[in-house]
Amino acid sequence: MDENEVLKELKTRLGDAVIEAEVPRKRRIFVKVKVESFRESARFLVKELGFKHISTITGVDLGDSIELIYHLAYQGSIELSLKVDLPKREPKISTITDLIPGATLYEREVHDLLGVVFEGHPDLSPLLLPEKWPKGIHPLRKEYSLESIRKTLFKG
Amino acid sequence: MTKALSWARVKSPWLIHFNTGGCNGCDIELVAALTPRFDVERFGILLEGSPRHADILAVTGPVTLQVKDRLLRIYEQMPEPKYVVAIGTCAVSGAPFKDCYNVYGGIDKVLPVDVYIPGCPPKPEAIIDGIVKLIQKIKGKESRG
Amino acid sequence: MIKVPFGPQHPALKEPENFTFEIDGDIVVAVKPRIGYNHRGIEKAFEQRTYIQNLYLAERICGICSDAHTTCYTQAVESLLGVEAPPRARYIRVIVAELERIHSHSLWLGIAAHEIGFDTLFLYYWRDREVVMDLLESISGNRVHYAMNTIGGVRRDISPEKVSMIKKGLDFLEERMKRYIEMMKTDQTVLKRTEGVGVLKRRDAIDLCAVGPTLRASGVKNDVRADDPYAAYDEIPFNVVTHDGGDVLSRILVRCEEILESIEITRYALDHMPKGMTRVRVPMAVPPGETVSRVEAPRGELIHYAKSNGTARPERYKVRSPTLGNIPALCKMLIGCHVADIPIILAGIDPCFACMDRMTFIDLSNGDEWVWTMQELRRRYRND
Repeated sequence: MDENEVLKELKTRLGDAVIEAEVPRKRRIFVKVKVESFRESARFLVKELGFKHISTITGVDLGDSIELIYHLAYQGSIELSLKVDLPKREPKISTITDLIPGATLYEREVHDLLGVVFEGHPDLSPLLLPEKWPKGIHPLRKEYSLESIRKTLFKG
Repeated sequence: MTKALSWARVKSPWLIHFNTGGCNGCDIELVAALTPRFDVERFGILLEGSPRHADILAVTGPVTLQVKDRLLRIYEQMPEPKYVVAIGTCAVSGAPFKDCYNVYGGIDKVLPVDVYIPGCPPKPEAIIDGIVKLIQKIKGKESRG
Repeated sequence: MIKVPFGPQHPALKEPENFTFEIDGDIVVAVKPRIGYNHRGIEKAFEQRTYIQNLYLAERICGICSDAHTTCYTQAVESLLGVEAPPRARYIRVIVAELERIHSHSLWLGIAAHEIGFDTLFLYYWRDREVVMDLLESISGNRVHYAMNTIGGVRRDISPEKVSMIKKGLDFLEERMKRYIEMMKTDQTVLKRTEGVGVLKRRDAIDLCAVGPTLRASGVKNDVRADDPYAAYDEIPFNVVTHDGGDVLSRILVRCEEILESIEITRYALDHMPKGMTRVRVPMAVPPGETVSRVEAPRGELIHYAKSNGTARPERYKVRSPTLGNIPALCKMLIGCHVADIPIILAGIDPCFACMDRMTFIDLSNGDEWVWTMQELRRRYRND
């Protein structure tokens, strides 16, 4: 299966759940799906197409929304970036740790740094941020500049 | 008695090493300094496990928020007289990480430093040179006092 | 004599990692990781710096595999720019990457030897490793942070004199490595401490998305150099090393044999290096776009995601180092093990963090809770 075939399968199965799709080069696919179809898309990719390896999950603060990008690999070769937008005010999404146990720490990391809640995750306790970290400050959100975070942490 | 003790200490300084969040580059060059090729043993320098027996605290890294208290605790556990060596540009000033949100930016923001060894990382020869300079500084102090 | 205690001072086990172990008697029942002692906030810092400044930052994410990070980084930016490093540069990237792999694996092997109780072997590995450090220094001018990669290619060429010097060094390393492999395979102390220890079944390695030698030591034949080739790896024949044991011994053997493969790859690259430029000029402005870049770092799959917004600074730069990818697998292999085996199993994934400096223990049989350092754990259980 090459990247073009994968994209074809996805579009056939998911139909208009696919908002954007691109194959920029060999072994790279970028797909954005509607948030309501996220679970179905992830399950299809992992269980039926065989994208069993997750390289990592990237979270991007786009201002009004937080974009999650799941970087999944097929046989270590084709890297598919599955994107979904979450509303900034209440960024939550189903966990995929039941589909890929290896996603566990990546979800915790995005939770720490961007405040996304992964519903159903067995343990969303802090992973990277130190114990003294002030609650509610998710450092990768754009509203926090480096200077403002430093000021809060190092005051006094 | 004190003079004899201090001379013995200067003959064989016991060094304890702690990384405060660096990239490991300085740490592996410090340990490389101990391998037979560089033979730091000529100076009697021994890497020690417990702060309670150490004379010199060799610190690498830019001091992250989460290790600061442990760094202080290690320093407090060391008996007097004690000395601090900042190894690597991160330890000296924070280097590329000094504006990062989690970083104090240099050991001297937290502890008094006796010798600074810049470099990213400093070569094993530079590290040994810096520690030898510290030993000379200690000797100088003792002969005056 | 030289005392080299490990623990807070441990060379590659530098940054304190926090683990909580629940134990029953002498057996580990559960493991909870909470890493982050050296979390510096680098991804945020990437957004505040230009693409050229970020090259220096990327290099310093890790001092042991800094070339893997700069290769991954320059590939990402080149992809955003729509440029490709010239053929000669791609071969030089392979040569430096493989020399780094040899140095990193040798460093680790020394540490593994120490964990097993073979301090003389530790010193042998580190002395041999100096040969590679010399080669890297003569190619790049630096022993650590070689700064060979730049956006558009490499910053220095490798002259014909250097080529023969490198080959001599590789011959020396190969001969010694072959001897060490024989030693590791047959020495009773090594086997006793590593065979059947810290087993990670193939199924678990896949489900938990392990990477690198840890994955390959459980029989899974994945390696980014072969599966998703970059630089000049698609033009260079080599073997992906796997072992089926899934134990610490398998992880040792995979790394030893990978050193031999790296030597072969480097020789081939030196012999087949195309003539031509070592770098191309790149446009100043990075157009909007996004990309995923992957390399096989010594510890496993390294992935960078980059998003540009058309300005001089990236919109988002994400880095996932291989060690993070192995922590779920690490937790799995620790379950059911003896407390005494914790140090060698932890070391077995070749962690790029000091980990394990502080470990919390909870004894399920009586609810006691205490904290040990790695030092204290070793002292209790090692009979040396």
